[in-house]
Amino acid sequence: MGPPWWLATLWLLAALLFQLVAARWFTLRDAIPSAVLVAVVYYAIRVDTRRAAIYGLAAGLCDDLLSTGTGGAWTIATTLVAIFAGMLSRNFFADSLLLAASMAAVATLLRNTIFWIVRSAQGYPSGMAGLHFHQMLWQALLNAALIAIVIFLGRWRENYRTG
Amino acid sequence: MIAVIIVAAVIALVQIAAARSGTPSPISAVGTSVLALVEETASSAGNAVRNGATAVLSLPHLTHDNQTLLARNVALARQNAQLHERVAADAQTLSLQPVIAANRVVAQARVIGFPPENESRSLTIDAGTRAGVQKDDGVMVGGGIVGIVQEADPWSSTVLLITDYTSRIPAVVQRGRWWGIARGNLSSVRVEYVSQDASLHVGDVVVTGEGRSFHSGNVIGTVTAIERSDTGLYQTAVVKPAVDLNALDRVVVVGK
Repeated sequence: MGPPWWLATLWLLAALLFQLVAARWFTLRDAIPSAVLVAVVYYAIRVDTRRAAIYGLAAGLCDDLLSTGTGGAWTIATTLVAIFAGMLSRNFFADSLLLAASMAAVATLLRNTIFWIVRSAQGYPSGMAGLHFHQMLWQALLNAALIAIVIFLGRWRENYRTG
Repeated sequence: MIAVIIVAAVIALVQIAAARSGTPSPISAVGTSVLALVEETASSAGNAVRNGATAVLSLPHLTHDNQTLLARNVALARQNAQLHERVAADAQTLSLQPVIAANRVVAQARVIGFPPENESRSLTIDAGTRAGVQKDDGVMVGGGIVGIVQEADPWSSTVLLITDYTSRIPAVVQRGRWWGIARGNLSSVRVEYVSQDASLHVGDVVVTGEGRSFHSGNVIGTVTAIERSDTGLYQTAVVKPAVDLNALDRVVVVGK
């Protein structure tokens, strides 16, 4: 069940492209939306936990490869968030706009917190999660808005196809 | 018959009187005005007929002419955009000239990327070790310093911006030569460890001190606020960077 792997791969590639090229156009108080996280959450709430974890792992790995000096922090953080989203999604419908938006917001805070914890474990200065907290909140808002737009577009496409 | 003679006599008298007084005759004035009106009406009607006929006759060509003009308009708009881009690019190149003249330039580079998740204030430039760029080289533009090369790959390098939390640069408040350490604070820079004796003012210019990446005297920014406590050993200046770090295109990598 859930979206086919090739479609999920296309989502991830599109999200990475957006992240590299266009995400900065939507900067809000030093925060940019994370299309990669939105893709992970969108996929994770539609599939089982194992597939969600694999998808999160791939997405985090791509983020780490495209970033400089993050070690495996994005990989660990995104995988854990994907597992979290996959586990929680058993309790609600994936198409619920409010729940998906809330999930994206919570996932943003969780992912960034795990990221900075892993970074501090790698020797980066500690306390960065607290310093970036304000930015995290704005990113949570942006990601909630982004996943809402994605769900709207998905619904519109479905309605268009079914006439 | 008599009436005609009377009218003719009156006209003659009016004309004679006007001629004697040297003023235009009212009859002539009325006649001229009426004639002018008739002439203008006739001329307008003639022009309208002529223009209409021309339009009808040239109707087959109008579509073609319209398409040609539209195509020319699109081409001119494109050319205009290209010229604007060249002007902007040339302005940026010109603004780099003072930096190039005053420093040992390793390479000129273009900004080609940013971290995808914005977890650090850094950017990627298209010059790497093959162009001579090394770790800890300074990066500048005409307005001031941008950051320090954090990692140099063969074809590209990562530059840590001065606003990143982990960025540390020796700084000097230009007016009083007071030393401090410029630390990134996301959208601003904080110059910390400035002596309590220093009489800092908003508007003071902060420049680099002699350090590993920059020679002294390169502009970091301007003081916008001062944080001072009675019990602290030091005071802190909040500095607005001189360079708009969100609108960088061409930069210069400088070595020591």
